Amino acid sequence: MAQQHIVSGELVDEVTLTLEDLARACSVDTDWVIERIESGLLADGSPYVASWRFTSHDLTRARRMCQLERDFEAAPELAALAADLIEENQRLRERLRAAGLVDDPAPPER
Amino acid sequence: MEFKDYYQVLGVAKTATAEEIKKAYRKLARKFHPDISKEPDAAQRMQEINEAKAVLSDPEKRLAYDQLAQQYRSGQDFQPPPDWDAGFEFSGRGFEEADLGEFSDFFANLFGQGGRAGQGGRGYRMRGEDRHAKINIDLVDAFQGATREIVLHVPEVDSQGRVVSREHTLSVRIPKGVKEGQHIRLAGQGSPGLGGGPVGDLYLEIHFRPDSQYRVEGRDVYQRVPVTPWEAALGASIETPTPSGPVKLKVPGGSQTGRRLRLKGRGIPGSEPGDLYVELEVVLPPADTDRARELYATMADELAFNPRQGRGG
Repeated sequence: MAQQHIVSGELVDEVTLTLEDLARACSVDTDWVIERIESGLLADGSPYVASWRFTSHDLTRARRMCQLERDFEAAPELAALAADLIEENQRLRERLRAAGLVDDPAPPER
Repeated sequence: MEFKDYYQVLGVAKTATAEEIKKAYRKLARKFHPDISKEPDAAQRMQEINEAKAVLSDPEKRLAYDQLAQQYRSGQDFQPPPDWDAGFEFSGRGFEEADLGEFSDFFANLFGQGGRAGQGGRGYRMRGEDRHAKINIDLVDAFQGATREIVLHVPEVDSQGRVVSREHTLSVRIPKGVKEGQHIRLAGQGSPGLGGGPVGDLYLEIHFRPDSQYRVEGRDVYQRVPVTPWEAALGASIETPTPSGPVKLKVPGGSQTGRRLRLKGRGIPGSEPGDLYVELEVVLPPADTDRARELYATMADELAFNPRQGRGG
């Protein structure tokens, strides 16, 4: 059997994403990201756009908001609100699970 | 390849208006949204729903699809006839490869870049789209690192100019110190570029398989460790398994269930490693023999202990 090449990547957070990286990863324009940061819907690094850096959490959140806006033609504020609630729900579910109080015996593959 | 009845997927009539299609889509998107749905096949259903909406909400694609659909039933074996889309111009946003990776072969064949929908992609150089996948690992993999194989469905243009899906297996090194929800970026493993443009990146989102022993918050790990009443009351040195291997642990005397002991730096490794929090859980031995019952009775007689004292009522 042929030896398969093992690929190594970089851990996002050890390297942070630039504005362009984040936009590309979400298939949106950089303006989409800038507007949501300026409205306080997505985390930012500093007041200076050029030095903005993004983490894994920002990437997950931005993709989720993008999908919600697209699927439901939702206003950005509403998509951010839904993203907040989903994040909170995931945190609480994790705590329930840790406490042995799983509310969903067969959670879907995330 | 099976023919897909997009009207059936959305549960609408063939005569449905754009507004009815939008409404049906939103209703189903809410039900099967992977972030909240408890349906086991939510991700698969969401893909079908997105695909159906992509076709039926675009008047040009819907028209072309409707004409094709007159000759097929859902599930019927299907090959797109040559020039099936002749006479139709698909304008607006083309479907790029990243989208196609999330759509079925049926969709990719009809509306992929090999078809007429991809006209806009010709003649200029463009970077390939970034792609995304999720991967489940065990917590112990975050402590030791691991290698995982993932299978990706990569859309490709075949010799006839149609888009086909090809399976691509990738062995990926999961670095030590990875956290729940963190991404690994694999440069150049995304969609191919257009016109010689660079390849996109692949982002892998890491999730830990649920483990009844551990709870993870960032790099900190919480673990419940059962102890006997005498270990808790008198103090003891015990050995317990942890994700980084067995450790000797000093249980302080006078401990109760819920007491939390911090093992600094024994959480998920990293430049700032997390801590391991051991939560003690006092477990009573069963009173299932005469001798055991006798010992409990002696305690009842000799220890003036009422855990409800001071609670009133």
